[in-house]
Amino acid sequence: MFKKLSNWLDNEKRLAYAVIIPSIFLLTGFAYYPAIQSFRFSFLRYNIKMPGRIRFNGLSNYMEVLGDPIFLRSVVRVLYFMVVATLFVIIISLIIALVLNKRFPGRGILRTIVIIPWAIPPVVNGYLWKWIFNGEYGAFNGLLFQLGIIETYRFWLNNPFIALNIAAFTFIWRFTPFITILFLGVLQSIPNELYEAARADGAGAIGQFFYITLPSLDRVGAIAVILILIQSFTVFDDIYSLMGFDESTKTPMIYNYELTFEMGRFGRGSAMAYLIGILLFILTMFYIKMNVKRSGPE
Amino acid sequence: MKGIFSRLILGILVLSIAFLSLAPILWILISSISTRAELYSVPPHWIPQYPTLSAYNKVLITGEGFRGGGGISAAELMRRGILNSVVISVSTTLLVMSFAPLLGYAFSRLRFRGKNFLFYVTIGIIALPSWPVLIGLFSEFSTLGLLDRKIGLILLSFIFRIPFETWFMKGYFELVPKEIEDAARIDGCTHFQTLYRVSIHVVLPGLIAVSIISFLFTWNMFMAPLVLTYTLRSKPLTVAMTEFIGQYYVNWDLMSAGTMLAIIPPVLIVLFFQKYIIKGLSAGAIK
Repeated sequence: MFKKLSNWLDNEKRLAYAVIIPSIFLLTGFAYYPAIQSFRFSFLRYNIKMPGRIRFNGLSNYMEVLGDPIFLRSVVRVLYFMVVATLFVIIISLIIALVLNKRFPGRGILRTIVIIPWAIPPVVNGYLWKWIFNGEYGAFNGLLFQLGIIETYRFWLNNPFIALNIAAFTFIWRFTPFITILFLGVLQSIPNELYEAARADGAGAIGQFFYITLPSLDRVGAIAVILILIQSFTVFDDIYSLMGFDESTKTPMIYNYELTFEMGRFGRGSAMAYLIGILLFILTMFYIKMNVKRSGPE
Repeated sequence: MKGIFSRLILGILVLSIAFLSLAPILWILISSISTRAELYSVPPHWIPQYPTLSAYNKVLITGEGFRGGGGISAAELMRRGILNSVVISVSTTLLVMSFAPLLGYAFSRLRFRGKNFLFYVTIGIIALPSWPVLIGLFSEFSTLGLLDRKIGLILLSFIFRIPFETWFMKGYFELVPKEIEDAARIDGCTHFQTLYRVSIHVVLPGLIAVSIISFLFTWNMFMAPLVLTYTLRSKPLTVAMTEFIGQYYVNWDLMSAGTMLAIIPPVLIVLFFQKYIIKGLSAGAIK
């Protein structure tokens, strides 16, 4: 019986379809279909707390979202978040990758340590820093106090601008390892002869960095920037656990959750999901395109 | 002279990188073994004088010190959370481990009509933004009775991992020398046998990387289960922990112990499989 089945499946086409069709079925049913469903919701007046009163209302959900000052402020906020995150992640991960590319005792251990922030649950990341920046007992306050920098403890997260920057910082802390690994992979693939040749031509350490190291990071650097933009735009867990729905760190991702699942406004929430999804989709397609160039099917 | 100077800078950099990566985690570890009095001391006791496991005892065994909504004790909350997280992550990982090689093999080695189209349908999921999917999925799950079920979360994390892992495995299979596979075919191996007896040895490091990353992804998942679960029947650890945050008050002793429990598995995985993770991350992001 099994042998028969396995012989029947030995036909290339049959095997391929037997493997692929079920997964396409699942992906369609539980990813594409729900996305289409919420697209439909976005044209409905639909509050899940009032299921009896669903009706079509055209584009007014979209109009309301685009005219919603909370939403518009959340967009400005996330743009700031993305710029800060991209800048710092790129610079810090470049420095760490350059350090890890040197030879020194304990390099293997440091390479392991450096990945840890990436591996922990993002929601836990938010709690870690919420505790560290705690206004009454936090370690950050304690450190500054003992160093004599502040005289009394401060509620850092109560200041909206500081809170937004702390939120960006928690993301930078968690996401830097990923980009570091990407950069390190490139640095390790640069042949040593290139540097030797540059030295023979009289290039110093700085010259080697600008003429060899930096240009070789060109393509991966571009991919990294897009990845950081996507990831920082879609941060949810870290901000949710750090600040909840606090206005100071309310990005579109957080606001969308609040609107849809706290307030039950499925119609308007879906419209917002699609509006923020458009930007994300463009970024992601860009990323896939850059990657598929070399790995796409023949 | 210059050598000493640059070595000094390197040393300072190495130490600060290690410190910045580890300090927050060490601090939560220290907090989790501090007594309440030391935990809430000003300025902080950097090294606890009376280290205690009482917070762990509370979140794992006795459950005192906290009652969430519905009179659930902290220990029940955490134990069920851990169990749910383990079940969901292990099942997802096993599913991905069984399907990713098959899909990768099919898309890289087999010839069939509609290959390009089906491949793009598969990896197209990567481009789908999460909110539109989650909002629709919430209503779909509630129709199908999959809300607040572990099976729903397994399904969801499988669906969101499999495109990445298929793409990744496909790249790995393309590295397998065609000659080995042809030789196996000539020796009378079926495609299945070629895959599982011959090619698998070449792609094994990739498969390990894929499995580890799937496990981490599922263990760390938060946003989707926050939306799709609401009782202890299915809440994973990451979501269960949020109960320690009250509206006006956070139980930081329970929270720090709970946080440590959520951190330990990923940290152990990093320690043991560092090599595969590095490989998986770079190969997964850049083709």
